Amino acid sequence: MTLHAATDGWVGRPLRRVEDPRFLGGRASYLDDLRLPDLLHVAMLRSPHAHARLAAVDVREAAAMDGVAAVLTGEDVAGAMEPLRPLIPIPNPPRTYPLAVGKVRYVGEPVVALAARDRATAEDALERVRVEYEPLPAVVDPERALDPGAPRLFEEMESNALWRDVLTYGDVEGAFARAAHVVRERFTIHRYVSTPLETFGVMAQVEPGTGLVTIWSNDQRPGLTSGVVAAALGIPQSRLRLIAPDIGGGFGNKRKAPYLIVAAMLARATGRPVKYVEDRRESLAALCHAANGVIDIALALDADGRFLAVHVRDVVDEGCNLQNPTLHSLLKLSNIIGCYGIEAVRFEAAAVLTTKCPSGANRGIGKPAMCFALERIVDVAARRLGRDPAALRAANLIPASALPYRTPVGAIYDSGDYPETLRRALALAGYEGLRRTQATARAEGRLIGIGIAAAIEPSTSNLSSYMLATRRPGTSGVGEAALVRVELDGSVRVATGNVASGQGYPTAIAQIVADELGVAPSAVSVSPWFDSHENPWMFSSGSFSNKFSGTDTGAILGAARAVRDKLVTVAAHLLEAAPGDVVVRDGVLGVRGAPGRQVTVAEVATVAYRDLLALPPGMAGGLEARHYYVSPLADVPDADRRVAVQLTFSNSVHVAAVEVDRATGAVRIAKYAIVHDCGREINPRIVEAMVHGSTAHGIGATLLEEFVYDAEGQLLTTTFMDYLKPTALDVPPFEVVSLESPSPRTPLGAKGVGEGGAIPSLAAIANAVEDALAPLGVRVTALPLSPARLWEAMTRAGEGRGA
Amino acid sequence: MSVTGGAAVAGRHAIAITVNDVPRRATVAARTSLLDCLREEWALTGTHAGCEHGVCGACTVLLDGRPARACLTLAVQADGARVTTIEGLAEGDRLHPVQEGFWECHGLQCGFCTPGMVLTAVHLLETNPAPTEIEIREALAGNLCMCTGYQNIVAAVAWAAARLRERSATP
Repeated sequence: MTLHAATDGWVGRPLRRVEDPRFLGGRASYLDDLRLPDLLHVAMLRSPHAHARLAAVDVREAAAMDGVAAVLTGEDVAGAMEPLRPLIPIPNPPRTYPLAVGKVRYVGEPVVALAARDRATAEDALERVRVEYEPLPAVVDPERALDPGAPRLFEEMESNALWRDVLTYGDVEGAFARAAHVVRERFTIHRYVSTPLETFGVMAQVEPGTGLVTIWSNDQRPGLTSGVVAAALGIPQSRLRLIAPDIGGGFGNKRKAPYLIVAAMLARATGRPVKYVEDRRESLAALCHAANGVIDIALALDADGRFLAVHVRDVVDEGCNLQNPTLHSLLKLSNIIGCYGIEAVRFEAAAVLTTKCPSGANRGIGKPAMCFALERIVDVAARRLGRDPAALRAANLIPASALPYRTPVGAIYDSGDYPETLRRALALAGYEGLRRTQATARAEGRLIGIGIAAAIEPSTSNLSSYMLATRRPGTSGVGEAALVRVELDGSVRVATGNVASGQGYPTAIAQIVADELGVAPSAVSVSPWFDSHENPWMFSSGSFSNKFSGTDTGAILGAARAVRDKLVTVAAHLLEAAPGDVVVRDGVLGVRGAPGRQVTVAEVATVAYRDLLALPPGMAGGLEARHYYVSPLADVPDADRRVAVQLTFSNSVHVAAVEVDRATGAVRIAKYAIVHDCGREINPRIVEAMVHGSTAHGIGATLLEEFVYDAEGQLLTTTFMDYLKPTALDVPPFEVVSLESPSPRTPLGAKGVGEGGAIPSLAAIANAVEDALAPLGVRVTALPLSPARLWEAMTRAGEGRGA
Repeated sequence: MSVTGGAAVAGRHAIAITVNDVPRRATVAARTSLLDCLREEWALTGTHAGCEHGVCGACTVLLDGRPARACLTLAVQADGARVTTIEGLAEGDRLHPVQEGFWECHGLQCGFCTPGMVLTAVHLLETNPAPTEIEIREALAGNLCMCTGYQNIVAAVAWAAARLRERSATP
């Protein structure tokens, strides 16, 4: 481990982002900025009920309105396509479609879509649609949804359960039997989401002659979306062109194939291009939420306070999610032991349907909740045992000497120094001093608390892990694709199957390729957008699970090295030298020990494309390579159901100091210190900003954000006035130190960083708040820690009733 | 969840607005927002729709020199006004110091909030050339950023303030 390792080349330098000037000048191309001649605009009528039978849908008056070009109902859609293909198939999935058919199952579910000359006309026309709803009982509580007598979302299913299973690794019974202490707690996990500032959208066009369907969408998973959309439209994937322009934030939320299908169907019906962009209420109510649920956790400890086993009963409220259920369950397996050497694990999974917005991918998927439960229970244990929470953690962290470390679940922790990370974080925060301040403040009656969370940040999902839930093969491993091409003039073009949404890929990729080809990053132009007819891609292409460092780097290096090999081979031929003697630097290929014998990259490119007879005899022309990288770290579940759910592991420790206002319940974050280690940093400036941003997500989720449903399944938080996002006054300044323990298992030694802050921050702040309220005996078992919730808890504690 | 404006709009209104020193005209419905007018009538797509209910600040423009939510301002209300959008800030390829600060300090990630942030900061520095950190945070508290955690944005504005002070100190 080194602190900011020195770098020879471009990788590792904190370069400014090459893509920034057009964003700063208002010249980016987001989805809603795109225009086509004759464009129609789409609006959707959405269910006001959580659960209701659709008795009648009458669109005649709307369809007859001036300016309305086409109207689609659920019946229309169902008549034109096979049911939606689930991405994670549960046994006997019910038939569902992009628009509601027969029933609605959550507030905000699309019922009718129509296209009109402008959005205002389209929305006016929705008022003329007459829908008769026959309300049915809502199912809001996930545990009640599991009751045999609970109202069922899908009558054709035996229950609302999508997946129930018990996974056991190691001797859990033995560990609990011999434990000196067992601590248990029940945590309620709330619903929140990252709310990218740009909402989801789509524009679709059908070429009448060729039948080619072109769809522009800010979809983060084009590799996966393409197949779903083509199947729904009944066209081969080769006739579907999917383009992703600049994406205004994603965080996993932006994938909604049903909207792409609806837009394409309206384009087909009208013969004109159509565009649909969610408004904020639609996005908050119906795009996706991080799943809520309940986690019952028990931790077994020996007499010395060593963690022996963890038992987690996890109920995940999927809402009405049939597209990619079980993600919030499965990913918890990747950080269920955190940074600790816990050798026995039991995971009781239940993923259940309720009449709420479908759950979906959201920065960290399930891992923030798992870290919250584990790091909270560690604090509960420390209090029970009378140990300092930092000391109890230190005693249980996996030592650096034990890495690479195979977890009982089957993951391999690749690099890092967890005890050193904790030591440095405590030093950065001034932990001892904070404890002294706390003691003084408590004596004055002030409520000051200090919270620590140590977290593993797993990244690069292994899609084989879905087999744990589906019990059948079909999708496995993970990879990414890249194209590197040296143009005739020596400039370099790179394209990948991934889509940037703020992560700085164009800059990081230019740094990587510059090092491989011996050119400056300014000579490398990275395609800012994804185009399925231009960029190389595969099923797992796109932005998810922090996979850039695990797979994209491999694809980029693979393609760049193939191009470099050809550059060297051709140059050696031209220079009459042995390829082994050719060196590349600053855009020039020279011969070792023979100064002056050299050709430029542009001269070699000229030979490769134009002066073809100067190529080595028999060699193909061109100076371009594609590489479809497959992570060698992925496996499939073994007979004991062990599998590496994710493939590389960053780590961090967050330390928060807070003060709770006794009169109002407001939480003020007085200090926030972060030490993290994501392996080799390709661009430290981008890395640190990712840490800031993801930590802010966790702070919002911990203190402010919550989707509130009432007992009838009505969503009460559909604007930014009641779904509160953190502002510049809510997010404290962060003190960040990074360690760099390169992974021996990834192509560049880099590991994931995008989710890092979002995973431990919930626990760090919650631990600090509980510590602050310890004199009152308040326990923190649910988030967000809003002033109202804390005030109520303090008031109850004051009345002697406990929280 | 569609928000509808009731009955179809009968009248349309001719308006004239000076945008980034360029006089522009349009004939719009009474319900057309300034945001839609900028984007749809004049293809100035640098001003973004983030929430369309006045909270997020992505659509912030300078209306007669003061920050305004273009999503809550009707185009007819801006008739006769001078509007500055993000497209009007740089002089050719020369970025405004606030834009430069955002680049230098990595004050943007996805870039969607950036135009509103930058214009809000420009106004702050016109009225308060040497803001403290808390004053910067207060000024930006009406603009949401989902990517950065604000730290680098605050640094960017402080950087720009220093640069602007340097410039005004240079004769």
